[in-house]
Amino acid sequence: MRIMTQTRDIFQAIADPTRRQIIGMLARKPLNVNAIAKEFDITRQAVSLHVQFLNDCGLIVIKQQGRERYCEARLAKLKQVTDWVEQYRKYWDKQFDSLEGYLAKIQKKKK
Amino acid sequence: MEKYNSFRQEDNVLIHTRLLDAPRELVWEVWTNPEHIKEWWGPDGFSLTTKAMNVEPGKTWEFIMHGWGKDWDNKVEYTEVIKPSLISYKHSGAGADYNFSVTITFEEVEGKTLLTMKSVFKSKEIIDELNKKVNAIEGGKQTLNRLENYLKRLNT
Repeated sequence: MRIMTQTRDIFQAIADPTRRQIIGMLARKPLNVNAIAKEFDITRQAVSLHVQFLNDCGLIVIKQQGRERYCEARLAKLKQVTDWVEQYRKYWDKQFDSLEGYLAKIQKKKK
Repeated sequence: MEKYNSFRQEDNVLIHTRLLDAPRELVWEVWTNPEHIKEWWGPDGFSLTTKAMNVEPGKTWEFIMHGWGKDWDNKVEYTEVIKPSLISYKHSGAGADYNFSVTITFEEVEGKTLLTMKSVFKSKEIIDELNKKVNAIEGGKQTLNRLENYLKRLNT
């Protein structure tokens, strides 16, 4: 089965360790980009790009508060991943049903 | 019989098992012969065209799945082939993040064939980590619900 992709999706978002760490930080409390950047050895710009990525796929929202932009986690979206595992399970369950059916059919013919 | 049909997850590995009522040689045959595989592979209502199939390490199975009004190109590259007990392959679809590798083993059990399929996803740690997070959120919710119900009961 080929799986359809978008340019930026949740699976890509969580494939990156920095982004996973950012999600983890924001899951505890909302933070602005500077506060996030302090935790990493990479540039603020790089952190900002990761934040943008997470924002694009809906894992976080960015809220303007005065001069600061606060990032908040939206973890409900992560359910897509567990849903995907479930989908994969169901897909192969059906495939095996189909295989079973076919094996039964061709064995019957032989007899 | 039930114990042979299972699904479980170990970190980034998804494991399916299924006991098939057929001899192992036949099961091998229907996985490795294009004439057989087109009879059962793919979702309901899909059909399959095999462009090339060469079940040997380093060789490929190139196929198109037809369904939902579209053609879906797929490629499987075999990495290990031990007839009639093991097939390993890498599946490439769209993006690299979606590529995964699969190992299927066939074992003889009580005159039947136990199929075990392990799918290893590249996005390591991810599935596991996310399950934990989502479960933590769900678990948190459930705890709150229970507390709420308990409080209700106390009040009545």
